[in-house]
Amino acid sequence: MPDQLTDLVRFAGDLVGGRAGDWDAAGEIPRESITAAAAAGVLCAQVPTEYGGLGLTSTGNGRLTAHVGSLCSSLRSLMTSQGMAAWSIQRLGSRGQRRAYLPRLTGGELAAVAFSEASAGSDLSLIDTEIVADGDSVVLSGRKVWTTGAWYADLLVVFGQYAGGAAAVVVPTATPGVTVDRVPDPLGCRAAGHATVTFDSVRLPAGAVLGGAGQSVELLVTTALTYGRLSVAWGCVGILRGCLHVVTAHAKVREQFGKPLARHQLVARHIAGLAVDEHTAAAAAEHASRCWDERSPDMVVAAVRAKYLASTQAARGAGTAVQVLASAGARDGDFAARAYRDAKLMEIIEGSTEICQLILAEHALTTSA
Amino acid sequence: MTTSTDRSAEPGSAAGAEASLLGFLASRTKKDWDADTDLFASGGLSSLFAMELVVYLEETFDIEIAGADLRLDNFRTVTRMVSLVRRLAGSGSA
Repeated sequence: MPDQLTDLVRFAGDLVGGRAGDWDAAGEIPRESITAAAAAGVLCAQVPTEYGGLGLTSTGNGRLTAHVGSLCSSLRSLMTSQGMAAWSIQRLGSRGQRRAYLPRLTGGELAAVAFSEASAGSDLSLIDTEIVADGDSVVLSGRKVWTTGAWYADLLVVFGQYAGGAAAVVVPTATPGVTVDRVPDPLGCRAAGHATVTFDSVRLPAGAVLGGAGQSVELLVTTALTYGRLSVAWGCVGILRGCLHVVTAHAKVREQFGKPLARHQLVARHIAGLAVDEHTAAAAAEHASRCWDERSPDMVVAAVRAKYLASTQAARGAGTAVQVLASAGARDGDFAARAYRDAKLMEIIEGSTEICQLILAEHALTTSA
Repeated sequence: MTTSTDRSAEPGSAAGAEASLLGFLASRTKKDWDADTDLFASGGLSSLFAMELVVYLEETFDIEIAGADLRLDNFRTVTRMVSLVRRLAGSGSA
């Protein structure tokens, strides 16, 4: 596996090829680049080989995700979305649904996951998107906002109310009644294709409902988000690595008052803080992935902890990077400026910093004597 | 890992599954629970904990919980989880 991972890391590096700043400025990644990543299985690298996936462990996929995150958080966000879609299908779908959909996600088609609505952000119990059974089909109605990757997606995994509970349904974006509107000028991950998606009485085969029954919305969402949180955590490790790289490179050569910035103690303190943040974020992500790979029940809270730690530290670290680079880091599209905007969004998605704090506090209260 | 000692639990035995689950709950929450206590009632456990229970049950009893079975009601009490385990493990012969 180490060889496979080395090859994938090289593949991802070649794919980005120093163009992340251009993609950010354009607000778009060329479709052929995303499709190439999808067809190589890189966007959902944990899908088992029996479904055409790369079959990476969570740890392996995490390291790949961190590498992409150190280059381009928009492409990394698409890994999070496609990976979450694949995981939802794998985890919630029947064997037949896995066989039907997963090879498409590892074969070049693009997918996104739609949770949030105008009135249902952190409180997903309020979602009012409806999936209504009608003979051997279902009809989907509602509107989802800020769906990462939806602008590029061929398939959407949409969470809605269904049969007295909730369910996720797989929706081809080409289905009549589906409208995808690009979110103009997002703060960060500008090329990640955030979109508002409207479903106007979209008719789908009943077999598109994952698991085919009403389920607990909390369990469904926690299932999908656990993957997403871990992916975001690893992506933030990548942001911190990228920040550490540009900061140390700059501080070694930029001289003021007759010595390199790195020899100024206040700058050295920034570098130390960044280095520790990168290290602890990586340790938290490694731990959570190990829990995932060992199928330990701890994986659920470990993913929240890693996401919380890595995203808050990435936001802080990116601020530090801009501060140390100063004018050299203030040009939009350059790594530090992108990291500054991208990292802030990571504190919001897949459970905001505050929601993570509530979950972690609740967990501490129930698991401590 | 935390579940290694529970692998000896007999899914076919309701008593074994119940003892295993009560042990898991006690070790995670540092308090004892009755088999019929509503775990999610006020002052009880979170839906995040419900997900931990899903992972625990799947790994310990080598079952897969999906579709209609992913209802909170199935995890509300130890007794209900034992029923779920016995049904999914196909232990009708036990």
